[in-house]
Amino acid sequence: MPTISKWSKNRNIVHELIRKNVKTQYRNSFLGVFWSVLNPLLNMLVMWLVFSQFFGQNDPLYPIYLLTGNILFQFLRSSTISSMTSIVNSRGLITKVKIDHYLFPLSSTLSALVNFAFSFISLLIIMLIMQISGGYSLFGYQMLGLILLLPAFLLFQYGISLFLSALYVFCRDIKHLYTVFLTLWTYITPVFYKLNRLDANSIAYKILKLNPMYYFLTYFRDSVYNMSYLGGGMASWKMLGLLYLLGIASLLIGYLFYKLLKKNFINYV
Amino acid sequence: MENKDTDYLLKVENVNMVFKTPALKFDTLKERVVNFFKGKRAPANKFQVLENINFEIKRGESLGVIGHNGAGKSTLLKIVAGIYKPTSGKIDLKGSVVLLNLGAGFDMEATAEENVYLNGAILGFSRKQMKERFNSIIEFAELQDFVKMPLKNFSSGMVSRLGFAIAIDINPDLLLVDEVLSVGDTNFQKKCIEKINALKKNGVSFMFVSHNIAQVKNLCEKTLWIENSKIMGYGASNEICNEYAEYCKNKK
Repeated sequence: MPTISKWSKNRNIVHELIRKNVKTQYRNSFLGVFWSVLNPLLNMLVMWLVFSQFFGQNDPLYPIYLLTGNILFQFLRSSTISSMTSIVNSRGLITKVKIDHYLFPLSSTLSALVNFAFSFISLLIIMLIMQISGGYSLFGYQMLGLILLLPAFLLFQYGISLFLSALYVFCRDIKHLYTVFLTLWTYITPVFYKLNRLDANSIAYKILKLNPMYYFLTYFRDSVYNMSYLGGGMASWKMLGLLYLLGIASLLIGYLFYKLLKKNFINYV
Repeated sequence: MENKDTDYLLKVENVNMVFKTPALKFDTLKERVVNFFKGKRAPANKFQVLENINFEIKRGESLGVIGHNGAGKSTLLKIVAGIYKPTSGKIDLKGSVVLLNLGAGFDMEATAEENVYLNGAILGFSRKQMKERFNSIIEFAELQDFVKMPLKNFSSGMVSRLGFAIAIDINPDLLLVDEVLSVGDTNFQKKCIEKINALKKNGVSFMFVSHNIAQVKNLCEKTLWIENSKIMGYGASNEICNEYAEYCKNKK
């Protein structure tokens, strides 16, 4: 048997788990992973038909606004939901082999990243269409901001994932509660509506400012296409710092919670 | 090689294992909340599974583990494999270990191929290293036609064949076998015994949990007999197995 470091061993395990997750997700479907590209496009189309009259009147780029909001929130939704059940669903492994349990939510989060990468293709397609037909110049250096954003967003998601996956071992109801919570979370995040309709002193605006996803999404939009809806210009370093702070705080809370509970996992999964 | 006494592969000292299982199982939030307000806390049932277990295995030596169902044999194997932490006591293992039990560490939704690679990774192999072993594993398990099939569609014999094939191909220092040999047809069992003997010649140690006394006598130099969480006998296989057979007869 080989003697390798724990780090490279765990890396191999995560690699295999991601491979398996992505493959099993599209087993028995004809279009396979192509759905990850098609799905956000169809979703965007539906939302555009419904909302463009209300929120998109003055915005020729409203389809991009919708798509950015949708794919980023879908990323969070799929990573946290699949992570939540990941430890319990791996009971066949956990009870039979020695394996670090935190690898399961980690692989689920990273599998969601793979899907996000495919969804991003749909965004690029729409941007290309807009650029050609509308004469906008959408592609630019600001897109590098995405590379800076992703690690912070992954930390943020992994923290939530660790928390949920550990809690789920002991309390299976949170699955239902969390889906309701996600619906609420979608509505207090500007996925399809615009902020310029809100009074800066209103309660709704204050609630919005407490929502971490609001900052992630704003930065995402700013870096994907150069049309800011708040304050304008390129996404700032200060904002990026805040995002990393949110990411690290989430990871810290999630990890501590996980560590507190992990001792008894094996008797409850 | 002079001081052979300290040349052990595995040393288990004063191991105790207590399971704390909740007497009332609160699986849902509703139950938790309701019971919290009723002032009911989940009382823990303490259950001693292993009590003061001591033994050691030398390199290349095999140990049989016998005893009635629920005596704590499988728990002992899981502790040696590192899945459970013992409540108290010390496990000193100077090498690698693989546990083989029914439905061993598989994801039933994934295919045989994916499970081979996943298990390989868990045991510390890279994908490239596993690729080199893949064919011999599948060949030994006789699953050439089922490589791309999800494991949930396998028969239990097929699953245990795959588990066995992976474990023996990996060549650990210590292989823990939990009643795996009782499944699978006679031909495969024969093949396994041959392979086990070949591995033993190569210096691999085994720990067998089995209810097949003849098999234990055949394969193991020493035997550990556990009854009601305690050691009833530990020593040469012939002796201990005969004592166990006697005990079983008298119990009836």
